[in-house]
Amino acid sequence: MARTWKRWLPAAVVPAVIAGGALTASLQANAAADLPDKTPQQLLEMAAGSDVHELTGTLEQQSALGLPELPKDLPAEEGGQLATALEMLTGTHTARVYRGGPDRTRLQVFDRFAERDVIRNGLEGWVYNSKQNEAVHLTLPPVTDGGDTSEDGGAAQTEAYSPEQLVDQLLESMTSETKLSVGDDTSVAGRSAYQLVVEPNSAQTLVGSMVLAIDAETGLPLNVQVQARGQQEPAFQLGYTKLSLGAPDPGLFEFTPPAGATVTEHAVPRHGSDAEKHHGKNDGGADPGGQVTRHGSGWETVTEVPAAALPDGWADSPLLAQATEVVDGGRLISTALLNVYLTDDGRVFTGSVPLEQLQAAAEGR
Amino acid sequence: MLHSGAGPNTTAGSEPAGSARLEQPSAPENRRASAGWALFGSELSVLFRRLRTWAMLLALAAVPVLIAVVVRLAADEGGPGGGPPFLNQITQNGLFVALTGLVVSIPLFLPLTISVVAGDTIAGEAGHGTLRYLLTAPAGRLRLLAVKYGAAVVFCIAAALTIVVTGALIGTILFGTGPVTLLSGDTIGVGDSLVRLLLVAVYVALSLAGLAAIGLFISTLTEVPVGAMATTAVLAVVTQIVGALPQLDWLHPWLFTYHWLDFADLLRQPISWDAFGANALLQGGYIAVFCALAYSRFSTKDVLS
Repeated sequence: MARTWKRWLPAAVVPAVIAGGALTASLQANAAADLPDKTPQQLLEMAAGSDVHELTGTLEQQSALGLPELPKDLPAEEGGQLATALEMLTGTHTARVYRGGPDRTRLQVFDRFAERDVIRNGLEGWVYNSKQNEAVHLTLPPVTDGGDTSEDGGAAQTEAYSPEQLVDQLLESMTSETKLSVGDDTSVAGRSAYQLVVEPNSAQTLVGSMVLAIDAETGLPLNVQVQARGQQEPAFQLGYTKLSLGAPDPGLFEFTPPAGATVTEHAVPRHGSDAEKHHGKNDGGADPGGQVTRHGSGWETVTEVPAAALPDGWADSPLLAQATEVVDGGRLISTALLNVYLTDDGRVFTGSVPLEQLQAAAEGR
Repeated sequence: MLHSGAGPNTTAGSEPAGSARLEQPSAPENRRASAGWALFGSELSVLFRRLRTWAMLLALAAVPVLIAVVVRLAADEGGPGGGPPFLNQITQNGLFVALTGLVVSIPLFLPLTISVVAGDTIAGEAGHGTLRYLLTAPAGRLRLLAVKYGAAVVFCIAAALTIVVTGALIGTILFGTGPVTLLSGDTIGVGDSLVRLLLVAVYVALSLAGLAAIGLFISTLTEVPVGAMATTAVLAVVTQIVGALPQLDWLHPWLFTYHWLDFADLLRQPISWDAFGANALLQGGYIAVFCALAYSRFSTKDVLS
């Protein structure tokens, strides 16, 4: 009898050891050294002043927005770009990122039996999709350090991007609507990190809080987590699971499209004109293309896009019909962080607010 | 045919042990070790002398051959995105036949053959009434179990290699080879790509070793080999179905089939070892748990036949 009991021991011990090992590994992943205390402002300055240009890392993105999960093997032609965009917002994605200097980057998004690559090597860029075996060759405009823009503008821009100023501006614009605090020290990808917690003061917004993990050594943001109100798991998370600093193999940035790939050439317009266009949109709020109007402010901002600004028949996509639910006066795409309200007369209201507020904005209240 | 296999096994298993006892009475450890290797050798020779083993390997080899011949005969090159992964690349490079063959075989054919071999390990001997004789040597049960599992793992490797080697050969004959385009869009030479193909074979063999351990345990539960084979095969299929249900996604990382199709990570530039490591850890856990269960069950079992 005693012998029998002993012989069942391995069957009990081995699973217990494995369970114990798995538990310790998950506990260790979050254990962090006690870091010297810092204020939110110091943390922001550290993050803004971070100048890590050489790294190799693995990123993982998780979304729990409450969107319907799309089948993974759906051919891209069926859903088109909307499906691709939605796909990036559901489930889990893994990517590898390589940086070999300020203008050398490679991002690899892993799909099952496929990969999407974005490569930038100086003034040359490539976007490669292995599923379609398609490559887009981008030619970037030369960077001239403000030479082509007016001297004043260039100087102002550099000044605005000095970390301290940027942080000051950011803090100034945020404090009335936002509460900043420092969370518990944590560990991301095996590195000790501070946690900066951003909480909206508004009770109306769907955003519960945002947590930014900042590397204690370099100030590099390591992880972003967005919590939605009334949801336990993070609605969105993007962060490193593996990170090593140091220059990766320079050969990774030299990309030659494979034989048989469809190559499209695309020249990117000059940065200056592009930036100006953006400015116009932000300041005027009345871009000739689409009269986007804003209602409310801060976290409760509701953006209205009139029917005229949208391509005809875009709302008739069967995929969209599947993602929406019928509500009073229109249809609703409801996610944990963002609600999109499509009125029956074709206008689109978007905001991180409950549906009632979108409806109120639509009625002009 | 099935009975003939067990015959030489029993004699080979007990004979070296007997002769070694005469030569080295003072070194029982040594004797056991050498007897273990002798038993392993005879177990392998029994396994690979069986017509059934060769029939299964032949059936696996037929998968890439069938794919290659059909693609060769079909004039229409299906557009990108259709069919199993890598299929549309076969016409440009024959080495992809091996990969398509693996993708097609992993869900059913490979688990089926592994289930037959692993399910037969103990239950087969018990069913033929030969288990008693195998256990006459001292410390026999643990050693017998190790030898049986070792042979099943060797079959896992043989099965994966069969598909890869046949696929590469038939693909080279029908389509020729050349530089291989990886998933990242980078191109590597034929030599490098053969190394990667071998790595993929190792990955698949490792994935199947976990299933073999489960089969070994199930095989100790019964004396009806067909029952153990069927249970193991059904378990492999059911696990994959569970793995496809999004409602159970909290469970997915713990399923032994979770990383089965992730070997594509070996086809990125540079190689991503994450999936390989995660798979090794997962399969290692399954092997440890089910070998321990098999030992406990088998060492406490009343062997009557």
